[in-house]
Amino acid sequence: MAINSINGCIGCGTCVKTCPTDVIRLDKRTGKAVIAYPADCQICHLCRMYCPVDAITITPDKSIPVIVSWG
Amino acid sequence: MVFSMLVGLPMLFWALGDFPRRTVLKEVISIVTLIALSLMIGQFFLTRNSRKMLNINSMGLVIDLHKIIGYIFTGVLLLHPFFIVFPRYFESGVEPEEAFITLLTTFSSTGVILGIMAWLLMLTIGLTSIFRNRLPMKFSSWRLLHGILSIVFIIVASWHAIELGRHTDIAMSIFIILLSVSGVLLLLKRYFLNLKLG
Amino acid sequence: MRNSQENSSISRRHFLGLAGGAAGMAALVSMGVSTSWAKNNPEIDIDNIDHQESETDVLVIGSGMAGLFAAVKAHDAGSNVLLVSKGRLGSSGQTPFAKGIFAYDETTTNFSIDDFVNAISSSALGTNNKAYTRQLAEHSLARVNELRAWGFFDSPLYFNSFNKPIEERNITVKERIVITHLIKENGRIAGAAGFSLGEEKIHIFNAKSVILCTGAGGFKPNGFPICDLTHDGTIMAYNIGAKVTGKEWNDGHPGQSKNAAACFDGWHGMFERKPGTTNVEIHHDLGVDLNYKAYMMGSPIKMGRPGEEKVNDIEGGPYVPEEFRNRKPHGAEPDSADSKSRNRRPPKEGGAPPGMTGTIVGGSSAGMAIHKSEGLVPINDKCESNIPGLYAAGDALGSYMVGAIYTQIGSSLAGSAVQGAVAAEAASEYSKSTALPVNSKTKINLIREEILAPLKREAGYSPAWVTQTLQGVMIPNFVLYIKKENMMKAALAYIEELRDHHMPMLRAADLHELRLAHETSNMIISAEMKLKASIMRTESRCSHYRLDYPEIDDENWQAWINILKGEDGSMKFEKQSFGSWPDNQGSI
Ligand SMILES: Cc1cc2nc3c(=O)[nH]c(=O)nc-3n(C[C@H](O)[C@H](O)[C@H](O)COP(=O)(O)OP(=O)(O)OC[C@H]3O[C@@H](n4cnc5c(N)ncnc54)[C@H](O)[C@@H]3O)c2cc1C
Ligand code: SF4
Ligand code: SF4
Repeated sequence: MAINSINGCIGCGTCVKTCPTDVIRLDKRTGKAVIAYPADCQICHLCRMYCPVDAITITPDKSIPVIVSWG
Repeated sequence: MVFSMLVGLPMLFWALGDFPRRTVLKEVISIVTLIALSLMIGQFFLTRNSRKMLNINSMGLVIDLHKIIGYIFTGVLLLHPFFIVFPRYFESGVEPEEAFITLLTTFSSTGVILGIMAWLLMLTIGLTSIFRNRLPMKFSSWRLLHGILSIVFIIVASWHAIELGRHTDIAMSIFIILLSVSGVLLLLKRYFLNLKLG
Repeated sequence: MRNSQENSSISRRHFLGLAGGAAGMAALVSMGVSTSWAKNNPEIDIDNIDHQESETDVLVIGSGMAGLFAAVKAHDAGSNVLLVSKGRLGSSGQTPFAKGIFAYDETTTNFSIDDFVNAISSSALGTNNKAYTRQLAEHSLARVNELRAWGFFDSPLYFNSFNKPIEERNITVKERIVITHLIKENGRIAGAAGFSLGEEKIHIFNAKSVILCTGAGGFKPNGFPICDLTHDGTIMAYNIGAKVTGKEWNDGHPGQSKNAAACFDGWHGMFERKPGTTNVEIHHDLGVDLNYKAYMMGSPIKMGRPGEEKVNDIEGGPYVPEEFRNRKPHGAEPDSADSKSRNRRPPKEGGAPPGMTGTIVGGSSAGMAIHKSEGLVPINDKCESNIPGLYAAGDALGSYMVGAIYTQIGSSLAGSAVQGAVAAEAASEYSKSTALPVNSKTKINLIREEILAPLKREAGYSPAWVTQTLQGVMIPNFVLYIKKENMMKAALAYIEELRDHHMPMLRAADLHELRLAHETSNMIISAEMKLKASIMRTESRCSHYRLDYPEIDDENWQAWINILKGEDGSMKFEKQSFGSWPDNQGSI
């Protein structure tokens, strides 16, 4: 499911700013990063590379249909 | 038996938990850190209070073990913040130094504040143990200080681990809480007994 | 769960599909069905949404390579600068993923600048704008050296090196603000407006001049990291009367068939590498030859290994100039070069992503044209548009810097840097002789209403569903890449339906969806432009291929197609001869 899980987040907010497609938000209550809009993840790994504690796990599959030009 | 529990249970929860698996280096670091925390809480049971429970007859051996484990795993946990950013030296991404600074300056996070507190407490406990003989203090008051600092430390450290831990799911949290609570109770019981007797 | 509305809307489309002679589309269209029609339930207190106004001399929109240089150079030219972006500095748009940057260095090549410009023109079959090709060669080394001084080549992540010059100059940067409107007063640019993603706030920017560095865009395709780009700058500018070009061209990057959406995996770790520079090395690449092969032969299609002869095993298809048929590029170092150092050369665009040798699929960058071939029409070599005070640079400018096919390796990144700087100086100059325009209150209120409209809709269509529908219509190989008039007209019927009925009914429940709603509108207009320009261009050239007009037509088509909004709101088209500036303002 693209961006898949966040474990060990310290809530620094870097990934929220870094994600080009606005997939991640900080949870108002816990202050930690949550995957708010997984369907919009473009699987680019920027959030993972920028995270100071390497908290983000990403898989190559997608949860919504993937439309390509031929099959 | 107690040891295998202290080492085995965190590993078991690590193995059973639904956590993403990462590189060997990262997983080894995680496991060592988990075991270190578990053994540090276990220190409450490695005191003269609990000789009977441990079934070890020689008091000296208990104290030696307490010291060895204490020094080794205090070392491990003191390095734990660096361990978190260390794998970045071998992979692409944010520079480890920069990651470390971000880590230490995220004051909006309760977990980070608790972690820094726990780290400082641990350092104090370690230093006051190594240099105990040079401190202008009676053994009994040192022991009281050591006990009180340890109680504060373990509360802060457990809270930190539950708040931030990459591998804290329900099972791991319950384990940490039960272990800490019983360790602290054991020590308090001893103090109150001492007070009554004294 | 499907409700009855959903079913009826599908059967209606099914009917349209048959009518258009494209029943297959209906099946594609019905793929994403979960949320097509539902009651809106906004979580936001729309009436109390905050409002902030800012003033500046030069407003730079976009924070990729072009935006960086536009902001830095406008500051250095003495202007007050404000940089605003949908995303983060150096971590949005396409810039974070580009790893090879071209620098024309006369000490390392035996091509003179004239040779270079001529070689590009011959590969580009005349489609390049020589003024911009030359400018690229002249300025690229200086920009690359500045980047080096900021630490660009020392990290795979670009935020720090981009932030260094910005911080040194104390330039204000506003991130995570989606610009939706450009503001025009009395025929000239007056600023821009948008909303914040992180807080409930509308932003109005009052500016003497605006440099659009908003990049290119696509249909949120799978396999190319451009899902944050939907040609926003182009469409905003089109809406206030700017001319737009290049919509018929196609970027032909393939993706891998397994996990086609996984950009990172598809590029085999390239995103994790530090950037490097590239030398003169000219191809005729990444147009639609693979699409043609796939169309004629069907799946599976495999990627030829680099160095292999170009696939000549099928009849017909896009024309490749003789000297570029062999995969060995023009101007590259001779073969005697140390083979080890060759392998370690910086990764770059050209050919498929590195390591891609398995079965491949098309459409990974669907909706995007060749870099620099689409965007605002420049009226001179200063990145100026036909709207006074409005400039564009990089992928947002239709500069045709290297033509309508990929020619010089690594020139896209370099071109954005070069043009950012050029536009900055021109915009600064313009700002000095201009007073800060006054935005009319009624206009601002109208814009505010338009921005928030999707949040206010009680019911409507979800942007995600409309996007998937659009993808199903546009992305098939037989629509977007291997073009024929009747098929494009059929697709146009769908797109016009989306434009007329669905676009005005897009709904959003929160700020993220509000962004998606605006992006979806922009994609619909882009799709319309792409189809109409492609129908108009009755020839095949570079990355535009018509099955019904497979030949190059030099008699009628030595011309670019410009698109503009007519007085009545309709989409108008005009030809601009190769080698001339628009409106017959002389030759290039
Ligand atoms: C995978 C990949 C590999 C590539 N490899 C190379 C390579 O090796 N060499 C090379 O030369 N080129 C390469 N390119 C192309 C190159 O990346 C681009 O041409 C170049 O980075 C464009 O820079 P830009 O600043 O013009 O636009 P972008 O980098 O796309 O920046 C656009 C900016 O505009 C902002 N923006 C967009 N819309 C809005 C809005 N509505 N409101 C506010 N802000 C907005 C975005 O947030 C972003 O900051 C590659 C591209 C990709 C995707
Ligand atoms: S970057 Fe990492 S630590 Fe910071 S908020 Fe995101 S997941 Fe949490
Ligand atoms: S992988 Fe890319 S798109 Fe997905 S959440 Fe991370 S930064 Fe965002």
